[in-house]
Amino acid sequence: MAATSVGRVLTLCRQFQNAFRISTSLAVQQSALTLTKSQSYLDRLTYPLLSSNWHCHVGQCRPLHTTISRRGLEEFFDIPENWGEPTVKSGAPWTAKQLRTKSNEDLHKLWYVLLKEKNMLLTIEQESKRQRIQMPSPERLKKIERSMKRLDTVVKEREDALRLLQTGQERARPGAWRKDIFGRVYWYRFREHALPWYMNKRYKRKRFYTPLFVTPHIRLRLEKHLRAKTRIQNKEREKQTVLQEKFPQMKAQSS
Amino acid sequence: MRLTAILSMAAKAAFPKDYRYGTSRPWTIAAKRLNPPGKKRRKMFIEPIAYEDWSVFKGDTVEILSGKDKGKQGKVAQVFRHRNWVILDGLNTHFRYIGKTADYRGTYIASEAPLLIRDISLVDPTDRKPTEVEWRFTEEGEKVRVSLRTGRIVPKPVFQRRDGIVPQQWKDGPKDTSPEETLEKTYTPSLKTLEEEVMEKLGIEEPRRNRKTY
Repeated sequence: MAATSVGRVLTLCRQFQNAFRISTSLAVQQSALTLTKSQSYLDRLTYPLLSSNWHCHVGQCRPLHTTISRRGLEEFFDIPENWGEPTVKSGAPWTAKQLRTKSNEDLHKLWYVLLKEKNMLLTIEQESKRQRIQMPSPERLKKIERSMKRLDTVVKEREDALRLLQTGQERARPGAWRKDIFGRVYWYRFREHALPWYMNKRYKRKRFYTPLFVTPHIRLRLEKHLRAKTRIQNKEREKQTVLQEKFPQMKAQSS
Repeated sequence: MRLTAILSMAAKAAFPKDYRYGTSRPWTIAAKRLNPPGKKRRKMFIEPIAYEDWSVFKGDTVEILSGKDKGKQGKVAQVFRHRNWVILDGLNTHFRYIGKTADYRGTYIASEAPLLIRDISLVDPTDRKPTEVEWRFTEEGEKVRVSLRTGRIVPKPVFQRRDGIVPQQWKDGPKDTSPEETLEKTYTPSLKTLEEEVMEKLGIEEPRRNRKTY
């Protein structure tokens, strides 16, 4: 079944995604690295880095860039072949299903690839606004945003799974059910403070309890809410009866 | 996180509950003329058809059952699910002038009027007569439309993408990942978070610990 599904995917359509592929034109700009056309972006990190962008932290010396394609500020602009084109063809965005098969390291790299591509597209968008012309293929931005959102979802899923397994906590950020001054119960999400709450003057002004003069209004608010809910239900029921008599061949209750 | 939720809410188009949809898209001037902000029109009832039961798609051949062009068959050009409408190519037309200016009378063209789903019926591919159609499952588990009269499957029309891409003829660009690379599985489940794994790979050691917070 897996084989047929893979075959079907390969034959159905070539999945199109946005990712940097090193082309031979970049080899000229590289210092002492040999590249082949079939090099994939995944192997970039394993190459020895002869860059001059070393950023020394205390005790660690590691390079700022780990990419091979280092065109500098040119990375904010598209490849020269696409300059002046009214449309630029681009593939489909990454789907969450495809991203789930990738390792964390690959996802980390892909995030930055997508981020750089997004910055490039935003530059193009701003420049076309400045020159008052249409941006070529604005759907590329949407595709990138969707890919990044799905990547974030996948990473969150993995984090959630690990946290549930190790600690049993359902939420990453701690919180509690609290009552505000209006008597409404809501999920208060904790923030990080430098002081404990009893020393925090601003926090103490917030009042997580209901004063006595507010309690009669809670009942009135509840009555209003129930009245509104009943009104909506009655309206819905009336609408269904009218629909039934207008369209007697209607199948089932649609709600 | 909350900010992105608010931004996404603003990005989605919001319509009032009694918005009357027409044949023009909501952002066009014609649609704005049809629905000015303060208007209140008589409530309109449309037969609710579930998403799974919808049988007519763009590109299908259908026959008109009632109206001016009764008995004629045509191809579906547009489908409006919110009003159960279907627009056929060149059928059920009325004539009007477009591009009228002060001194020019405009071009006289035929424009199609929408037809309700109830006045349309799908055409059986074998005998090319209108039939009732039902959704059924094949042995492979695929959901198909079956004509009730002859029992033959009515195939779905070929879906043409709006950007004109035909997936079978696609050639990857310089920035696209090939299908083999995309489907390659590199994930090995482990008890490390993404941050820990990446720090290991890059050789970062973080001996500092967070200060206590409240």
